[in-house]
Amino acid sequence: MGVITKDRIRAKLKLGDTTVRVLLAHPMHTGRGENEDGDLIPAEFVQDFRCWRNEVEVLTIKCGTATAKNPYFSFQLVGGERGDRITIRWVDNLGAKGTAETTVK
Amino acid sequence: MVDSVNQQRRSVIKGAISASTLALVAASGLLLPQRLLAHWPSDAFNAETVEDALLALVGQAEIADDTALRFKVGSPPSYAVNGASVPIEVQSDLANIERVAVLVAKNPSPLAMSIEPTAALKLPFKSMIKIAEDSDVIAVIRADGKLYKTTRFVEVDIGGCA
Repeated sequence: MGVITKDRIRAKLKLGDTTVRVLLAHPMHTGRGENEDGDLIPAEFVQDFRCWRNEVEVLTIKCGTATAKNPYFSFQLVGGERGDRITIRWVDNLGAKGTAETTVK
Repeated sequence: MVDSVNQQRRSVIKGAISASTLALVAASGLLLPQRLLAHWPSDAFNAETVEDALLALVGQAEIADDTALRFKVGSPPSYAVNGASVPIEVQSDLANIERVAVLVAKNPSPLAMSIEPTAALKLPFKSMIKIAEDSDVIAVIRADGKLYKTTRFVEVDIGGCA
């Protein structure tokens, strides 16, 4: 299994709308799993995910523990054009943060 | 006589003004709780039943209609080998979507994610969720103050809520 080390983001113009695909690199521990020694792994999961297009906030996703490991999101934004800046930021329950940015192709 | 009438009129106007300001405050408070609170809604995510989660998240659990949104065929699949990563895709033609929520009925905490879109967002929305055991996967959309729901039963081979 390949190790994903950073968040990936792609934004593409398709039939006049922007399709954004995001893959975050995050273990998403629910707090119920155990490690090899049988100890519980403390909860660690992305809680808040936000997306901006050219500094305008377009989407907020609140995640629970049932969001899969290395969370993947794909959604469309109405309109848009080549060169638009798409920015995402996430925060997990321990306060860790991540950000990624791309331009629409 | 004239004085007392004026006095009365004054108090009536005063009352009307304060009532309308109160109404305004209440309305803005009701319309924008998520923006103001902008925090993770722990009540909703820690709830143990679908109804509780919906009540905590959107303040209502009555479903108006179940034809206006749908899962894509095969996403989620009706049979998933690995419950730790099950794809979902929600599609709908509804306008004015205020909230999209994805729930897994039998997970320890059913609410998987809650999407707060703006006018710029367009469905379909795709993501991956964990499913602990064979369970209904539910997508709920709140649009124009009404809830819409679709359900699909997903069987999983390896439960994925560890």
